[in-house]
Amino acid sequence: MDILKFKNFSWTYEGFNTPIIKKINLTIKKGEFVGMIGRVGAGRSSLCSSILGLIPHFYPGKFEGNIIVDGVDVETSSLSKLSTIVGLVFQSPTNQLSGAGTTVEEELAFGLENLGIQRHEIIKRVEEMVKLIGLEKFSSRNPFELSGGQQQKVAIASVLIMEPKILVMDEPTAQLDPLGTKLVFDLIKKLASKGITILLNTQNVDQLAEFADRIIIMDKGEIAADGDARSILTDITLLKKYGIEPSQLTTLSYKMKEKKLWNKPLCLTMKDAEEMVCEVMKR
Amino acid sequence: MPRTILISYIERDSLIHKLNPLTKLTALICVIILAFILGPVNNLILFALILPLSYISKLTWDVFKPIRYLLIIFAILFSIQGLFYPFRLTPLYTIPFTNIIIWKEGIIYAAEISARLLVMMVYGFLFVLTTHPGDLVNALRKLKMPYKVGYIVLSTLHVIPSIQMQVETIIDAQKSRGLDVSGNIIKRLRAYVPLLGPLFIGSVQQAVERTMALEARAFSADCEKTSFRQTVFRKRDRNIIIATVIISVTVGVLSWIY
Repeated sequence: MDILKFKNFSWTYEGFNTPIIKKINLTIKKGEFVGMIGRVGAGRSSLCSSILGLIPHFYPGKFEGNIIVDGVDVETSSLSKLSTIVGLVFQSPTNQLSGAGTTVEEELAFGLENLGIQRHEIIKRVEEMVKLIGLEKFSSRNPFELSGGQQQKVAIASVLIMEPKILVMDEPTAQLDPLGTKLVFDLIKKLASKGITILLNTQNVDQLAEFADRIIIMDKGEIAADGDARSILTDITLLKKYGIEPSQLTTLSYKMKEKKLWNKPLCLTMKDAEEMVCEVMKR
Repeated sequence: MPRTILISYIERDSLIHKLNPLTKLTALICVIILAFILGPVNNLILFALILPLSYISKLTWDVFKPIRYLLIIFAILFSIQGLFYPFRLTPLYTIPFTNIIIWKEGIIYAAEISARLLVMMVYGFLFVLTTHPGDLVNALRKLKMPYKVGYIVLSTLHVIPSIQMQVETIIDAQKSRGLDVSGNIIKRLRAYVPLLGPLFIGSVQQAVERTMALEARAFSADCEKTSFRQTVFRKRDRNIIIATVIISVTVGVLSWIY
C-alpha cells in the first residue's frame, strides 16, 4: 500500500526564479524505512516540509504537481488535518518543544490536547510513549532541562503519539553531540523494528547503513538515485559523484579491495564487516 | 538550566494548592480591591493574615522572599514623598544643621502606598506559587479565553529563560572574540549593543521554527481542545468564593462608612 506519493512535484520559493524541487516522482510504501541523503541545498529539507504541508501552507511559493499522503491531497487539505497523518521532526531539539508543557508528560500530551482527544486516552498514550522512549525517570521533569538527545527523543515521541501514518525526520541529529545522536538513533532503530513507515533525512550514512531499507539520493532538486540500501550505499562511485561520504565500514572494505585483500561485495553493516574480518583473518 | 527571573509554581500537597485556580483568582481580586479601600493600619492587618494562609499552603517563607525587592521601592517612596509631598502642612522632623524637612502628610501617604503594595505583593505571590500555570490557563479557557492567548501566557514562562540562555551564549561567544563588557555603566551598555542583532535574528528564527513545530502538532486544529491536566471545581470552591466575596464586601463597606 502506498502511503506517500509525489507526482511531478515542483516547488519554487517566493522570490526565487528556479525551483528548489524539480518534477519529483516518488512513492513510499507502508512499513518502508527510507533514508534520504544528498548535498546541502539539494532540497531535502524542503521535500520533508512539503509532506506535512508546510509547503505550500506555511511558506509562500509556487506549487506544481501533486502530493498524496495516505489518500489525502496535501495542497488542498489543512495543516491540522495533515498533522494527524504525517509526523514531522525537526533539527533543533529545543525549538521543537511547545513551551506549553511544564513536564515531559504534558509536552507529549500537547498534540493530543489540540486534537481534542479524551483525557483518559491521552493518559494511556502518554504512558506508552514515555515507556517507548525510555524516559520513565524523567516523565515529570521540565523538558527544557533535559539534554539535547533526550529532548529530541521527546520531540519524536510528541509527534509519534498522534499515531501518524508516516514519520518524517528532517536531520534529527544534526545539532546533537555523539551521545545524543546515539540515543536518537537507538530510538529510530526501535521504531523501524516496529514497522513504522519512516522517511529519514540525514547525513549520517554510518547509521543509515545499519537499518534503512531504501535510500534516496537527492541532488539539485531532483532524485538522483533511488534503490535498496545495499546497492546504493556500497556504490562508492555513485556516492562520490553526489558528494556523499560512504560509511566507514564500506570505505574499509573498499580499501581492502584495492589492496587485493578482499574480492567479494563491499560491506554495508557491522555484520558484513565481521564476516569480512573473520574471513581475512582465516587466510 | 539558565537562572530564571520568573518566580514560579512550587509543588506542595496542600489545601490551597488543590483549590480551583478561579477560586484563588477571585480571592486575589477581592484582596487587591480591599487593599485600595483600606487604610495603612487595616492593610497591615490584611498583610498579617497571609501568615496562616502561607502556613496552610506549606510554603512558609517562600511567600515573603520577594519582599526584599520591595525594600528599594519603599526607600524611594518614603524619601520622595516625605520630602516633596505636594499637600505638605505639618513638619515631622528637621534634619539637624540643614533646613531639610520631612513632612508628616508625605510619610502617611508613603505608608498607605507601601502597605497596599505589600499586601498585593504577598497575596499575588501566594497565588503564583500555589497555582500551576497550566491549570490557570485551563480554568481561564473554560471562561472562553481564546486558546491562542492561553498558549502565549504559558509559553512565555519557558521562552524567557530560553532567550536568557541565548543571551548568555552570545555574550560568551563575543567575549571570546575580545568583546570587553567591563568598565563604567555607559561603556558596559555600549558593549551590549552588538548582542542585539544576533539575539533579535535568533529569536525570530526560533519563533518561526517553533511555529512549524506547533503546526506539526495540530495547534490550529479547529475542534474542542481537551487537557491532560485536570482542574475540578468542587463544592468547597464555590463556598470559598461566596464567603470571600461576602467578607470582602462587608469589610469594604464598613471601612468606607467609618
